[in-house]
Amino acid sequence: MKMNMQSRNLPLNVFLLILFSFSVLIGCGDGMVKNKVPAENKSLSEQPDSLAGAEPVSLTSSLIIQDEKDLKGYWVGMFEPDTSIDGVYTGEVRAWDYSNKINISIDEINGSNVKGHSVVAGNDRPFTGTFEKAGAAFNFFVKEPGDDKYDGQFSFRIDKGDSTLTGIWIAYGKIRIPQRKYELVKKNFRYDPNVKLEAGRYIDWKKSKKVTDEIDGEPVYDNSYFTTTDEVNKYNASADLLTKDQVANMKKADLFIIRNTIYARHGYSYKDQQLRAYFDMQPWYIPVSTNVKSQFTDLEKKNIALLLRYEKNAKEYYDVFGRG
Amino acid sequence: MKKMQKNIMTFSAGVKKTSHWLWYIALLYFSYLMLLITLQYVPINADVAFLRVKTDVTGLWYYNVAFFTHVYSSMFVLLAGIIQFSSFIRTRFIPLHRWSGRVYVAVIICISGPSGLIMGFYGNGGWIGQLAFCLLAMLWIWFTWKGFFAILSGDLILHKAWMYRSYALTLSAISLRLWKFVLVYLFEPKPMDLYQLVAWLGWTGNLVIAEVFIYFTIGRLYRKRKSIVI
Repeated sequence: MKMNMQSRNLPLNVFLLILFSFSVLIGCGDGMVKNKVPAENKSLSEQPDSLAGAEPVSLTSSLIIQDEKDLKGYWVGMFEPDTSIDGVYTGEVRAWDYSNKINISIDEINGSNVKGHSVVAGNDRPFTGTFEKAGAAFNFFVKEPGDDKYDGQFSFRIDKGDSTLTGIWIAYGKIRIPQRKYELVKKNFRYDPNVKLEAGRYIDWKKSKKVTDEIDGEPVYDNSYFTTTDEVNKYNASADLLTKDQVANMKKADLFIIRNTIYARHGYSYKDQQLRAYFDMQPWYIPVSTNVKSQFTDLEKKNIALLLRYEKNAKEYYDVFGRG
Repeated sequence: MKKMQKNIMTFSAGVKKTSHWLWYIALLYFSYLMLLITLQYVPINADVAFLRVKTDVTGLWYYNVAFFTHVYSSMFVLLAGIIQFSSFIRTRFIPLHRWSGRVYVAVIICISGPSGLIMGFYGNGGWIGQLAFCLLAMLWIWFTWKGFFAILSGDLILHKAWMYRSYALTLSAISLRLWKFVLVYLFEPKPMDLYQLVAWLGWTGNLVIAEVFIYFTIGRLYRKRKSIVI
């Protein structure tokens, strides 16, 4: 039998090349392998603690204001810019407009003196001041300490026989939005493990920069990487113990939001702009504290640990050349 | 007429040369990526990368042994492709081809293959994933053994055929990850659905290509030889 070595060389190379044809097709851009663990993303890691954590006040007072003792409690609503400043636009969709859900908590009423705190945008600040009765209304004037860049003074009124608080806030210092207005409603906060996400989809605008198309000169963004799916409504990490199999098949954004919904149920106030915008949309959500870790149930702690493990994995390995 | 024939010959030689170099560059590039992946596990650490989502088995000592054996040894069999497929080495440095081949066979049959089988048994993706990885490991050992046995019997043609199959499965280390990368890029599927899919695609695709190649090249010789024998 005669072996012809040379004649078989060409097909051999072709064979090996076909096995590798993808490499040519996709161009093998950089970043296919992440060898080094990237710096911890702030919003991915557990939310930072704050020393300014305040105990939730006991809420036994009536939601309809009849007399002074009913003033105490949580007043919740949107804290909106009171200037002509426009919203921030990302692509063609309005991602947020500088409005944040605020919780003005009136904690103590003593004669004409009032003490309380406000929780907004991951910032928990105390205030003290006075109030006066003017006919059928209570007029408040309270001040924040002034040692924080975003401190300022509130003036608002609450009408008798009503359940709303309206007013303005003026910053002490020069900040982007020096004046805000608000119309808040009195609400009771009660941790409910069964509360579910209701409105909208979470989209990570900062990361969704991949432009896939252009329509009339406007870029179209591909958000699927960073957008939640219907999965977030299927699982409740506060009520049920999640299994490894369930979590292993969840996409990045779903893992992230399912975990953060635990925080939201406990009234965590988010510093992260996108998470804030997302949970502010949930009608049940009330920012109560900047430190809710101590409130987590054992079940929630277990779920958080599991979700975090897979989030980290998804973040580092999902879209790179590698396993996992 | 003669000139045209000459042109075709130069062209075919050019294609041959280019494909030759592209193959080496691609293999070296992907081997480099595999090295980066391997380095994630140096020094031995169970809290990184893939092992982070394998906590239910990283407590088993034999899983850990299998995992690190597999990760550290498999790098070398990949590089064997550079030496073993070179006709230059095969014709002028036969001892190098033989020794490198012995290492390739020994590492797969004794180290990488069995450790891969243990890992496959505890693989992710439920029975779908586990079946894929166990089959892959067993076929890998089997093909490699058949290729080794063929050359011991002096059967060059069969040796080639089985070794192509063996190396097609060796390359699944790369192709599986490439499939994953491309599928994520195109479709962004759910992670475990993806895992199960590439567990199969990763090596069956290679095997199909290898079979087609064997049929049209070595198979032709093989059939010819048979007809001579008959």
